[in-house]
Amino acid sequence: MNNLKYFFMTLAALLIATPVFAQDASGASQAGLISIAAGIGMAIAAGLCGLAQGKATASAAEALARNPGARPGIFTFLILGLAFIESLALFTFVIIFIKVGK
Amino acid sequence: MPEQLAFTRLLNAHFAGPVDSLLRAVHVHVVRPDAPISNAVAMEFIVFVLLLLYFVAVRMTLSVEKPGAIQHSAEMVHEFVSEQSESIVGHGYEQFVGYLSTLALFILLMNLIGLVPGLESPTSNVVVPLGIALVTFIYYHYHGIRSNGAGYIKQFLGPVWWLSPLMFLIEVVSHVARVLSLTVRLYANMFAGDLVTLAFFSLIPIGVPLVFLSLHLGVSIIQTYVFMLLATIYLSLAVSHEH
Repeated sequence: MNNLKYFFMTLAALLIATPVFAQDASGASQAGLISIAAGIGMAIAAGLCGLAQGKATASAAEALARNPGARPGIFTFLILGLAFIESLALFTFVIIFIKVGK
Repeated sequence: MPEQLAFTRLLNAHFAGPVDSLLRAVHVHVVRPDAPISNAVAMEFIVFVLLLLYFVAVRMTLSVEKPGAIQHSAEMVHEFVSEQSESIVGHGYEQFVGYLSTLALFILLMNLIGLVPGLESPTSNVVVPLGIALVTFIYYHYHGIRSNGAGYIKQFLGPVWWLSPLMFLIEVVSHVARVLSLTVRLYANMFAGDLVTLAFFSLIPIGVPLVFLSLHLGVSIIQTYVFMLLATIYLSLAVSHEH
């Protein structure tokens, strides 16, 4: 219990200290911070997009296995859903591209 | 200076003067008077000429007794788009088939032309998908107004009258967001596909980029389909009568 408390206190101290780290070379580290943010943002977007697309595809495959006759309808909705899910990740990509390229 | 492809350079060498004067006539400031034609416009021009040749060839070889290969391909496209729009729009879909097939062929050819060495996809430049999305936007609103008349405004107002000012704003924003999402989806897919191929080419220049090129081929076809599908759905929503 005590160990955990110390651990979280250290974490909190580190969190407070982050602006201090960032202050010393503000101009140079700006680009670095943007790169880090771009990586993290794209990772979150791609990961969640993959999770969602996996769920959608799994449901579509299941539906197709239960009722192979409904193939055309399911296919249309699957493609549509995948396109909508993917476009969210692509919005992130475009925002990152605008931010990094500036 | 932006990099120019060989065909763009050829066009700029011959047509820079007339294009400049045309742009000045419509009050557009020309940033680079010696090269006013961008890569995207040059590639679009190639696609335009190819499609024109295709349509002329289809028209020339049209025959009932002995349909040729070109006629078969044109009939396949027409049948696919017809079936698609009949299942979504339903009654009165015939008038949209022309626009939707042209849209599909145009986008497909623009996406695929990037796979030819020495050429690039015009759709990986953001203004080209924006243009297509705006044309689609105007087209479906035109047909919505044409088929519903003044009652078209009811689609924006929602079911409850006292919520209608709020609903109107939300609907306007959502309709404008359709243009944004159509644009960004096509643009970002094509652009990201090119970028991924390039990134793997810089890592391993032999063999591996081929996998991503084939992935890009699949993405090109699917994005064409998605764009056409969404245009059909927006059209069907616009022309639907509420009873």
